[in-house]
Amino acid sequence: MASLTLRGITKRFGRTEVIRGVDLDVKDGEFVVFVGPSGCGKSTLLRMIAGLEDISGGELRLDGRLMNEVQPAKRGVAMVFQSYALYPHLTVRDNMAFGLKVRGVSLPDRLKQVEAAADTLKLGALLDRYPRELSGGQRQRVAIGRAIVGEPQVFLFDEPLSNLDAELRVHMRSEIAALHKRLGTTMIYVTHDQIEAMTLADRIVVLRDGLVEQVGTPRELYENPFNLFVAQFIGSPKMNILPVAAVRLPAPAGAVKVGLRPEDLRIVAPGAGVVDGTVVHAEYTGAASLVHVGLDGGETCLVVCQGDGPGDGARVGLGCEVGRVRWFGDSGQAVSQS
Amino acid sequence: MPRPATVPMANDDPPWLSLKMREAMEAWLFLGPTLAGFLIFFAGPLVAVVGYSMTEWNLLSQQSTFVGLKNYSHALTENPDFWLVVRNSAIFALGLVPANMALALALAIALSRPFRGVVVFRTVFFAPVVTSAAAWAIVWKFLLQGEAGFVNQMLAYVGIAGPNWLREPNWAMVAVIATRVIKMVGLNMILYIAALQAIPRDYEAAARLEGASSWQIFTGITWPLLGPTTLVIMVITTIGSFKVFDHIYLMTGGGPENGTLVLAFAIYEQGFKFFNVGYASALAMIMFVIVMGLTLVQLAVRRRDT
Ligand SMILES: Nc1ncnc2c1ncn2[C@@H]1O[C@H](COP(=O)(O)OP(=O)(O)OP(=O)(O)O)[C@@H](O)[C@H]1O
Ligand SMILES: [Mg+2]
Repeated sequence: MASLTLRGITKRFGRTEVIRGVDLDVKDGEFVVFVGPSGCGKSTLLRMIAGLEDISGGELRLDGRLMNEVQPAKRGVAMVFQSYALYPHLTVRDNMAFGLKVRGVSLPDRLKQVEAAADTLKLGALLDRYPRELSGGQRQRVAIGRAIVGEPQVFLFDEPLSNLDAELRVHMRSEIAALHKRLGTTMIYVTHDQIEAMTLADRIVVLRDGLVEQVGTPRELYENPFNLFVAQFIGSPKMNILPVAAVRLPAPAGAVKVGLRPEDLRIVAPGAGVVDGTVVHAEYTGAASLVHVGLDGGETCLVVCQGDGPGDGARVGLGCEVGRVRWFGDSGQAVSQS
Repeated sequence: MPRPATVPMANDDPPWLSLKMREAMEAWLFLGPTLAGFLIFFAGPLVAVVGYSMTEWNLLSQQSTFVGLKNYSHALTENPDFWLVVRNSAIFALGLVPANMALALALAIALSRPFRGVVVFRTVFFAPVVTSAAAWAIVWKFLLQGEAGFVNQMLAYVGIAGPNWLREPNWAMVAVIATRVIKMVGLNMILYIAALQAIPRDYEAAARLEGASSWQIFTGITWPLLGPTTLVIMVITTIGSFKVFDHIYLMTGGGPENGTLVLAFAIYEQGFKFFNVGYASALAMIMFVIVMGLTLVQLAVRRRDT
């Protein structure tokens, strides 16, 4: 188990700087999730922690020890790849034992440790199969099993569930959460699925263009986003962003944009809410409907509404508790109410 | 809402050919040209050679008599040259195949990752493959000359008195093998580069993270994953080494003292120098059986290993 410290970490590929100064403290045993749009540098940052990419600038410390120049294998980290990277010519058992073998662990010890890890992940019945004979979920589990065998200090996951179907993803998500609880190991997890991020994370790191936008618990990010980017990135469906002039609310000084979460909005009589509009269409999703409302100013606003929404073409008003409204200044930074 | 218009019924009569038969006909139609080519240019000559090999047919006298398996028994039991030729071919293959493959793999590993100028290096090593055999032979005969040759002058620098490469039977064999390896190694190198590039980089990353050294990654992951490619390369290189003709013809003409007289060259001599078409055909069939046998053995060994 280990804590992890990043100080001013940068990474250049040739002339382009893809990580542009990241500071982060991960506590021992914490589950930290990196989220951000495609290409923002999540994988690169993870691979730098693993030692698979060298660090162009800054300091990486594990338990206080400087790791910049330490070989990957000596850092005590294990990684689960998006592609799983299971060796196709080896059985599950040999895949899991590979790391022990190259480090010179004796055969009986190897078998014992593989069995133990297999038990943890209920892989016992699969040990003699080849990766091609496994389903996606099973491969995923083997990849995690291979990471566990080495008893690493830090687990790194790079979008481990993105190749699975929706149902399996939910299932594996809970397995990973259970695993974290059982092992108590520090875990860093990359995803661009924000539900995964919200449900798994102790803290979420939102990245954009190689910079940290905000670090915080899922609740902090959802309720108090520092800026427009985080506000729109966290939460599904996305937060509605409107110019302050579009809503009948007293705007705080400096605010130019107002953010209204679809799940905070209610449909009310025209004129009774903060903004009026016409229903464009409604998507029925079972428990709720997602209503697209064309505002009089021309913008479209999404509203989550219990049961069936109003019919297409209906005139509606949208209401919202004042406490749930978010304000943003002209550079996107959050502006507080008072 | 208007009801959708009914689609006019297609003709319900059964077609004059069932779907299956129609598909079969199309298949034969597409296969036809290739099949015809195969029969005319491959199966035909093969059958003809089998026929010729059972005759005594001298091209000069234009006389052909059926002699059964006499040509074969003559080769296998009476003619001492035959076993010399087989031995030479075996030595050539045993020298060339491992050297070619090892060098090809080493070059491929060095040149499979991008770096500045990698294309130049790949081109340099591949160029001999597409160079004319005649030009290649002329240059190397020149370089391998006795005392004045470039190779021996270089060896003299480091204090080695080089042999007269193409004038001594054993050294001539070494020389034709080495020059052939250098000429053809680029082809296998390209095949190995393609195979190496097809291996996902994540395997190496995963292995390195688990503490594997470069050598362990090579022996534990890369080499096993190259297995299918290695097999293909081994088979085609072996076949190629048994079929080698132009190189021998141009470099040594089978000499000195028959030291480089290999099967394909002996067939040529029998057929087109001595005009013993029947005997040459029998030799060709024997070569066919040898190459086929070796290929099957290689495939079987590979299958057992996986
Ligand atoms: N080896 C490389 N050479 C040059 N540029 C690279 C290299 N690897 C990554 N990059 C660039 O660095 C940036 C970050 O890439 P990275 O793979 O870390 O993104 P990511 O956040 O993981 O995206 P995704 O969600 O699509 O996986 C991208 O713009 C990418 O093009
Ligand atoms: Mg990525």
